[in-house]
Amino acid sequence: MSYDADLSFVFAHTPKVVFGARAADNVGDLASELGGQRAVIVTDAFLAEKTDLVKRLSKSLGSRLAGVFTGVIPDPTAPAVDEGAALARGLDADLLISLGGGSAIDTAKAMAVVLTEGGKILDHEGYHALTRRLTPHICVPTTAGTGSEMTLVTVITDPERGQKTFVGSHFLHPDVALLDPTFTTGMPARLTAATGMDAMSHAVEALVSTLRQPLSDAVALHAIELIAAHLPRALEAPDDLRARGQMLLAASLAGTAFSNAMVSLNHAMAHSLGALHHVHHGTLNAALLPHTMRLFAADVGDRFTRVASALGGATRGLSDEAAAHQAADLMQAFVHRVGLTTHLGELGVPEASLAQAAEMALSDGSIIYSPRPVMEPAEIEGLLRQAL
Amino acid sequence: MAIDFPSAEWTKAYMDVLNADPGYKVAGAPWTAGALTFVVKAEPTVGLNEDVAFILDVHQGVCRDARIASMEEGAKQPFVITGSYAQWKSVIRKELDPVKAMMQGKLKLKGNLPMIVRNVKAAQSLVENASKVDTRFLDE
Repeated sequence: MSYDADLSFVFAHTPKVVFGARAADNVGDLASELGGQRAVIVTDAFLAEKTDLVKRLSKSLGSRLAGVFTGVIPDPTAPAVDEGAALARGLDADLLISLGGGSAIDTAKAMAVVLTEGGKILDHEGYHALTRRLTPHICVPTTAGTGSEMTLVTVITDPERGQKTFVGSHFLHPDVALLDPTFTTGMPARLTAATGMDAMSHAVEALVSTLRQPLSDAVALHAIELIAAHLPRALEAPDDLRARGQMLLAASLAGTAFSNAMVSLNHAMAHSLGALHHVHHGTLNAALLPHTMRLFAADVGDRFTRVASALGGATRGLSDEAAAHQAADLMQAFVHRVGLTTHLGELGVPEASLAQAAEMALSDGSIIYSPRPVMEPAEIEGLLRQAL
Repeated sequence: MAIDFPSAEWTKAYMDVLNADPGYKVAGAPWTAGALTFVVKAEPTVGLNEDVAFILDVHQGVCRDARIASMEEGAKQPFVITGSYAQWKSVIRKELDPVKAMMQGKLKLKGNLPMIVRNVKAAQSLVENASKVDTRFLDE
């Protein structure tokens, strides 16, 4: 793989990463390093009430724990963020600890903005407009897929406008990503597969995005290799901390890749189908990914050759395009191997909705980073029909 | 004759170029999200001693108004994009893609990023037309 002569990029720094089984049991030490004396845990009601994860964090935090906000909801809304920030402000919080998947991490990122800058979260929508450090944030992921622990963005839904919006800034990078495989062993098999394939999609799309660059390529390729090698084992043996740990690392690497290089058409289609049919985001990304890879097989040079190799392919002597098709075939087999489908019909997506989904995907921001311009709804609808 | 950037004359010329372009009428047709403010940060080394804001009121493929404004008025618009003199010069010369620049932090956006990205064709047309204005940059 090589790069154009006019290559120009910015690779954003990542948070301090602390990895290891039971590493989260030392969260109190990390809190102290950040000067946190009044920490607020940001999580959802299920994790707070049905697991011992909050208790484990609390034990280490001791008197440094000021309270727990359990109001995290999927696709966090502006009112939920503002409610969490009000609670944290009332507790005089000086540190946020997010516990959960992408929704918990994004909620805590947004709360940090409000705690530092005041007002409400929608007062701060924008990109790179923040000017100072935010309330410190440690994130403890309980899924391995979203990668939000490594990104500089929080995605918030504004229910009044019926729109998702972004706050993006280098100041939104969490201070610490605390990756503890023991916090992910409770994840059900289907969620493990779906979030793992979400991470796979992040990495593959970053690898061929128009914003691709050497550093994001390096971490994307490593993420693909780790997912290919360890997602099946994480499903076969949910308590295998090695497999769970490799998947946590893969998700964070993929998050670093797409935070810098972005995602493209596959995510655009997954976003539109998810909005129409409420199918899990990672499941949709998995179903679409092999088809999207075939669509771009002639446009990505030798980039999918490495993907094919990671998935067990043999590409020696093949043209780049033939190797890309092999990578797509191997990806399809991998999706099936982890118990997911590559047929949208099996996910309840009706044929009648494909035209609308194609139109919506065309207006999704991710699409502009596709390896070649995709401007016609008919082309997207055709891909969706192949995936039906 | 080349017109100084930034200036009231340049802003007016830009509006005229936009409204004369049938391509912008098509590319900008979906845009109904409100006016944009462009802020050029002060750069005393080229004689720009204060930040300059100009507002571009575009709606459905038509530029309804374009003017130099106070920073206070500029900040009230739905979208405020801020950059250094050098970055804006690169955008006008089509050397820097403005959406990519926002993602990289070279330009700073206050406002709804997805709305900008969804209207990338309109953004590209705005840049294309800016490059048509016969511009004199202050450092040349």
